[in-house]
Amino acid sequence: MARKHAQTEDDSEINITPMLDIVFIMLIFFIVTTSFVKETGIDPIRPEADTAEHKSRGNILVAVSETGRIWMQKKEVELSQVRALAEGVVSESPESSAVIIADRGAPTGVVIDVMDQVRLAKVNQVSIGAEQKN
Amino acid sequence: MRRTRKRHDEEAEINITPMLDIVFIMLIFFIVTTSFVREFGVDINRPDNTPPKDQKVSEVIAVRINELGEVSVDDRPTDVGRVRALIESGLASKPEASVVVIANRQADAGILVTVIDGARSAGASKVSLAEDAS
Repeated sequence: MARKHAQTEDDSEINITPMLDIVFIMLIFFIVTTSFVKETGIDPIRPEADTAEHKSRGNILVAVSETGRIWMQKKEVELSQVRALAEGVVSESPESSAVIIADRGAPTGVVIDVMDQVRLAKVNQVSIGAEQKN
Repeated sequence: MRRTRKRHDEEAEINITPMLDIVFIMLIFFIVTTSFVREFGVDINRPDNTPPKDQKVSEVIAVRINELGEVSVDDRPTDVGRVRALIESGLASKPEASVVVIANRQADAGILVTVIDGARSAGASKVSLAEDAS
């Protein structure tokens, strides 16, 4: 039997089509799931907590300063504007969760009011920012 | 002049290399920007307008915070650091109780977080936050 020696090609061929397929799908996935987190504008001193968990999808950040001022997206806002701003983020990414970064000395009443406003904006997961105790 | 009619190339040539360049850079950009949220937080629940007295009294551990930041667990005044231990002993006698934190509006948010943290560390199944109406 005559054996046909199949010529193996020297240069390795990369199949472009499947690779492009995968790359485009990954790209579209990341474009859709990316949500840009807007910083609050101030950096309050967070309280410490043992049970502080990493909030991986915390993309609505509301800061409450020691004097009870509310900051969102790098500007100071009134309580009435919190809901509208939160709803704006929710319309872009429905699975948003909120983190209220309250200063240790911030008045609890303001924190509770902010929490209520964020809840009204249909954000289900609300947490208060804390530092992990080490 | 003899016109040589050039035969138009039937296949459209796509330059793969620049396209791959752009696609990979976009992909890396989006991969990197999705992982930029670094907030830690403590989850909170707000009861939906059910005053804590609606539940059977035996099933609720009420932690009050007054405007000076003094904490009392089931009407026993305590120190912020001992909240966890007191809630643990309260849970020992009422195992399925939920903890309701009734905070005065003027109290510091730091005390609130410490109390919620203590309640969660003590193993309470449900911790919710209410406002002190007085």
